[in-house]
Formats: sequence, C-alpha cells, structure tokens
Amino acid sequence: MKEDNGFFHPSFLIPHPWCLRGQGFMMLGALSPWADHVWRVALPAALGLVAVYLLLPRPRPMLRVAGIALAFLAVVAAGFVLLHTSGRPVYDTLFYFFAFVAVVSGGMLVTHRDPVHAALSFALVVLSTCGLFLIMAAPFLMAATIIVYAGAIIVTFLFVIMLAQQQGLSDADSRSREPFLTTVACFVLLPTLLYIILQTYDTGQPLQQVVARATRAQDEKFNTVPAVVEASGGAGLLEDYRKALLALRWTPNAEEYQNQVNGPVNNLKAQWAAGEKAGNVKTLKNILADVQANGTKVLEGYAKLTPPPGSQVSQLSVPSKELHLLYPGETVAPLGRSLFTDYLIAVELAGTLLLVATIGTIAIAGRRTEGLR
Amino acid sequence: MILYPAMLQNYLVVGAILFVLGMIGFLARRNLIIMFLSAEMMLQGVAVNLVAFAYYHGNMQGQAFTLFILTVAACEAGIALALILILFRSKRSLDVSLWQELREPGQEPTRDEEPLVPPPPALPLPRLTPAGIEPRPKEREESHV
Repeated sequence: MKEDNGFFHPSFLIPHPWCLRGQGFMMLGALSPWADHVWRVALPAALGLVAVYLLLPRPRPMLRVAGIALAFLAVVAAGFVLLHTSGRPVYDTLFYFFAFVAVVSGGMLVTHRDPVHAALSFALVVLSTCGLFLIMAAPFLMAATIIVYAGAIIVTFLFVIMLAQQQGLSDADSRSREPFLTTVACFVLLPTLLYIILQTYDTGQPLQQVVARATRAQDEKFNTVPAVVEASGGAGLLEDYRKALLALRWTPNAEEYQNQVNGPVNNLKAQWAAGEKAGNVKTLKNILADVQANGTKVLEGYAKLTPPPGSQVSQLSVPSKELHLLYPGETVAPLGRSLFTDYLIAVELAGTLLLVATIGTIAIAGRRTEGLR
Repeated sequence: MILYPAMLQNYLVVGAILFVLGMIGFLARRNLIIMFLSAEMMLQGVAVNLVAFAYYHGNMQGQAFTLFILTVAACEAGIALALILILFRSKRSLDVSLWQELREPGQEPTRDEEPLVPPPPALPLPRLTPAGIEPRPKEREESHV
C-alpha cells in the first residue's frame, strides 16, 4: 500500500476512537467491539438535532446564535468522527467541499423562514449533490439532475413569488408543527442509520492501519530487533491484525472464517516469538512483509464489494473496466447499454409515467376549485 | 489504486443526513412549498446512496435506479405544484394547517396559542430638505404656461 492515509485523516490532529480503543480509553469499547460507534454517532447527531430544534421557525425565535453555533459544531464533529479520507488530496477536498455545502444548505432549507431562501438553498443542495455524482463517475446523472431540477427550481421560484410573497408575515412561515416531537423522531432515525452504516462499512479501517504500521516498520533504518519491535508494536501488531481480519466479517459462516484467520495468525505469532528470541531481524521483517502483502490483498478484494459467488448479476450492466478506472465520460455508454437492455421495460414505463403525470397535472391545475371550499 | 470502502461510508453518511434533514422539513414546516422541497431533498439523499453503491460495486445498476428516481421526482414535482396551486386557490394561503378538517373524527384540532410577533415598522424613507432657492423660469417659458 503506497499511501499512508493516517496522515491526511483529521485524526492526525484529534485522536480517533479507533486509535484509543486499544489503550482502554473508551470504557464502553471494552464491553463490545462496536460500542465505540455509539459515541461517534450520538455526538454529532445530538448536536445537530438540538441545533435544528432551536433554529426551526417559531413566533419568538429561541437562542438563534446558540443554534447556529451548535449546527456548526455538529457539522465539524461529523466531519471529524464519521468521515474518512482516501489519501488522495484532490478527491478528498472535493468530497468534503460538496458534502459540506450539501449538508449546510440542507439545514438552511429546513430552518429558514423565508421560502425564497429555501428555494435558493435547495438549488445549492442539488448542485452540490451533482458535484458528488461527478466525483463518483456519473456525469450523465449529473447533467440530467441539473436539467430536471433547474426547471423544477425555476417553477418553484415562480410559485414562491406568485403565492408566498403576497402577504408579509404568515402562519405558514413563522410557525412549526410539533418541532420537539419531530426532532425526537429524527433523533431515533438518524443515529440508527449512521450506526448501521458504520457497523457495516467502517470495518476496513483497522486493517488499513495494521498494514500501514507493518509497512512503516520494514524501513531500512530499523536494523535491530528492539527497533523493529518498537516500530511495529511487536506481538500487539499481530493481535490487531487478527482482530482486524475478524472484524471484516465477510462470510456468513463465522466459525469457519475464524478458524481460517486464527490458524495462520497464530503461526505468525509463534514465528515472531521465535525470531524475537533468536534476535533475527530478517525473520521479523519477513513476517511484516507477509502481513503487508496479505492485508493489501484482503483490502483490495474487500474494496471491490463484489457480489457473492453464485449470485446472478446481468453482465450487461457491468462496464468493461472497473468504474473508478474509467474516465468520467466513458461511463455514459455503459449506462445507456444498461438502460436499453436490462431496464428496457422500466424505461418505457417511466416514459408512460411521465405522460400520465403530465395529463394529471393539467387536469388538476385546470380545474375550477369552487367545489373544494 | 485501492478503492477504500471507508469512502463508500462517507457517501452513505451524507445521504443519511440529507434524508433526515428532509424528513425534519417535511414533518415540521407548515409551508406547502417548503414541504415539497424537503421531500425532494429526501430523494436526493437516496440518489447519493444509490450512485455510491454503483461506484463501489463497479456496475451501472445504481445509476439506472437513480435515473428512475429522477423520473418519478419530475412527475411528483409537477403533480405537487398543481396540488399546491389548487389548495392555494381555495384557501388563499400556503399554510398546511388550514386543512386540518381532513383529520380523523374525534381528534382535537391544534390551535396556535402564541401570537405572531409583528415585524418592526419600516423606517420612513429619508426625505431631503430642499436647499437653495428655486430658479425663476425664464420669460419665454412663462409665456408657454
């Protein structure tokens, strides 16, 4: 692994819970391997939702400054605790920028009492989401989203100017419906979502750290046994390696997987103890190289998220190369092929749906409304 | 180059946050147009999820699904705005709480207890005091008057 992504991560500045866990810092972390996710999830979610609760429109605004400060804190905390960097600075900068703009303008859409501002922040949400699409090699979707939503936003603007600007102060804009209950409901939903996401997809991180440590300790300058042991962490590294491999949880067959991991790692541990006793630097370095090579292999396979063997996936929706190896413009043709082979009926139905929706809209909007009163 | 699954997690987190913010907006706001925009934002959150999965699975299915989401969102936008228009025509307001008579029988209506604070009166526009003397019109001009 060439990039050492410990450096670009914000945990470079603030200790990341993963770093602290081994030192028994987190009391809950000792109870369950996943309990430290609870704090990573609950802190930003609680801050953000309290901020939204304070900022929702009311006849008498509550603590606006405190709300804005809490919202800022929540965004920063989420960026530090929940997100990771890939070690590619340009990519990471773009991602952080678009994600920040999307989340902040989403918050403004929800909390601003002026509908004109809400429509403007919705435009920002759509634009920054389109930026995220472009990062993820989806240029056609980016263009389509901008075109569709540009129309939608212009029409919404017309509506806002036509309907909402006639009276200055209205019940609709300066009151909220049940802000407390809403925030509580969302506080149930958001941490649950984030917790499940972290539990499922955050598992590669410890293995990356182990591989980075093993790579670092193979350096030429560590040429004595104590130096290598100190640089790598010694037998602790192998124990972390075992835990990281087990945490990946690839297979539904947990016991078999545990045996597959434990056997080779125990073997490596025995070799390490022997090498350390004999004072043989070369043995230790060979073990580290083994850890590095195997860990990188596992990470590569893991990152591809390939469907399990035996599952039936249409080959017409799979581009000839991996998506991240293609130039963004090259992903348009595979999308077209997928739409007009695998999803042909769905495309036709979508066209029909648009036609029916157009007719329905005209029928609804053109109707006289005296009977409705 | 390794594609880190940790990066997939980033997109899922952003999608979840957008979805929940949209849900707050839909549940708590009372302006019909803002409720509509919040619903659209929830769809954006889901779209981010699907595109991220497409990227990390290395196939096009997520992007194709997002395109269908976009289609349904366009239909929804049209119909929602038409509905907003007729609702506005009949009540002359965008407040969704005016439609409380559609609630279940036996439910108490919610009433707004707290009065709205009127905005501070607008400051009068500044008026310049006239200075100097008014020039006398010339004789030729006077003859025209």
